Amino acid sequence: MIRLSALNKYFDQHHVLRDVSLEVEKGQVMAVLGPSGSGKSTLLRCVNFLEKPSSGRIEIGSLSVEVDKADNKAVMALRAATAMVFQQYNLFKNMTALQNVMVGLTTVKKMPTSEAKGKSLRLLEKVGLGDRMDYYPSRLSGGQQQRVSIARALALNPEVILFDEPTSSLDPELVGEVLAAIKQVAKEGNTMIIVTHELHFAREVADTVVFLDKGLIVEQGDARQIFHEPKEERTRRFLDRALRPFVYQI
Amino acid sequence: MYELLDVQAIFTNMPKILSRLPVTLGVTFGAMLVSTAIGLTIALIKVYKVPVIRHMAGFYVSFIRGTPLLVQLYLVYYGVPRFFDYLYRAHGWFGQINFNLIPPVAFAVGAFAVNLGAYLSETIRSAIETVDRGQFEAGISIGLTRGQLMRKVILPQALLGILPNYGNTLISTVKDTSLIFMISVVDIMGQSQIIGARTLKFFEVYISVSIIYWLTCILLARILSELEKRARVYERKLVE
Repeated sequence: MIRLSALNKYFDQHHVLRDVSLEVEKGQVMAVLGPSGSGKSTLLRCVNFLEKPSSGRIEIGSLSVEVDKADNKAVMALRAATAMVFQQYNLFKNMTALQNVMVGLTTVKKMPTSEAKGKSLRLLEKVGLGDRMDYYPSRLSGGQQQRVSIARALALNPEVILFDEPTSSLDPELVGEVLAAIKQVAKEGNTMIIVTHELHFAREVADTVVFLDKGLIVEQGDARQIFHEPKEERTRRFLDRALRPFVYQI
Repeated sequence: MYELLDVQAIFTNMPKILSRLPVTLGVTFGAMLVSTAIGLTIALIKVYKVPVIRHMAGFYVSFIRGTPLLVQLYLVYYGVPRFFDYLYRAHGWFGQINFNLIPPVAFAVGAFAVNLGAYLSETIRSAIETVDRGQFEAGISIGLTRGQLMRKVILPQALLGILPNYGNTLISTVKDTSLIFMISVVDIMGQSQIIGARTLKFFEVYISVSIIYWLTCILLARILSELEKRARVYERKLVE
C-alpha cells in the first residue's frame, strides 16, 4: 500500500504540486493523467525523492516519512521501497543488459553473484530479452532498452514501481512491446503508478485513475468510472479531446 | 675538414643517457599516480559542491595554473624543508626532519604531482559533468549510494572523456620532467648536460636525448590509444 498525504512541491515561487493526496492499494495499478505541465512527473519523482517535496507525508508499506524531516536514512529507505522506469530508459551505458539488471541486486541487496545472475536472467527472459543479455544498451532498440529497464526495476522487488511516461520517447511501432511487458507486470500483482499519455492503455490496465491539472487533483477514483462518466467538466474535456479520433480540417 | 656534427657521438653516448630513462619515467609515472588521486578528490569536491573546502580547492587550482612549473619546482624544493623547519622551531611539531636525507627526486615527484593534480582535477570534473543526468537519476532510483554510483556508473563513463586529456597530460609530463635537473635530479636531460659538458659535444647529445624523448612519447601514445579503444567497448561502433 502506498499513501501520499498533502504533498506540496514548490520550484522557487512556482507551486507545482498542491496538497496532493492519494492512495494505491497493494497489487493495484494507478494511472496518473493530465495535460503537459500538470505536475504528473514531478509527483512521481517526489515519491522516491528525485525531487525533494516541500511538505507532506509519504507512506509505503510500514514506512512513513514526513518529507520536511526526512533524513538520509529515510530517503534511502524510500528509494529501496520503490523502483522507477524512466521516459529515457536511463540504462547504465557502461553495463550489458544483464549487468544492468544485476547491479542493484549485488550492490544494494548484497546478493551473491550466482544467485543474482540467475534471478536477472529469469527477469530478462520474462520481458523477452534472454538472448540479449550480453548486449550493451547502445546495441538495443528503444523498446528493448525500456524492457530491460522494466526488468531492472522488478529485480529489486519494490513495494511500488513508478513508470514515468514509459512509452513517450518510443517509435510508434515499438510502443506495443513495452506496453505488453508493463501489462504482464501488472497482471502479476505488482503495485504500480503509471504516468502516461497512452489513454487507451491506461483504460486497459489501470484500476484507479488520478487526473491532475496545474498541480491539483481534479478528480480521482475508479478507472472505469472516470473513463466512462467523469464527474468533473475539466476531466471530461481532457478525455474527450485525447480519446477522440483525429479529424483533419483543411 | 669541418663537420656539422659527429654522427657517431650521437649513438655512442646514447646508452649512457638511456641509463637515466628510469628516472624520467619514474618521476612521470610517480607523479601521474599521486596526481590522479589529488585530481579525483578535488573533482569530487567540486562536483558535490562541498562547502569551504571547495573554495580552497579553487584557490589551489587557480594558483597552480597561474604560475610556471619551474617556479613551483623551486617552491617545493626550497620551501617545504624550510616550512617544516619553521614548524619544528616555532611549535615543536613533527620533530626535526633531516631533509638532506630525502632524495631530491622525491621533491620532483611531489612538485609534479601537485602541479598535475590541479590540471587533472579540471579534466575529471568536466568529464563527470558531461555524463548524462539520467544516469545519476537511475543510479539513485535503484538505491545506490553516492560512492557506489560514482564507482560503478559515473566514473567508468567519465573515463571516456578523461582518457584523451589524461594521455596528453602524460606525454607533456614526460617532456616537462626535463626541468628536474634544476633541482639536481639527474634524469636523461641532466645526464645529457653532464656528458655534453664533459665532451663538449652538446649538439650531438641533445640530438640523442631528443630521439629518446620522441620515441618514448610515440610508444606512450600507442599504449594510450589502445587503452582508449578498450574503454569504448560499450559505445556503438560506427563501422561494423
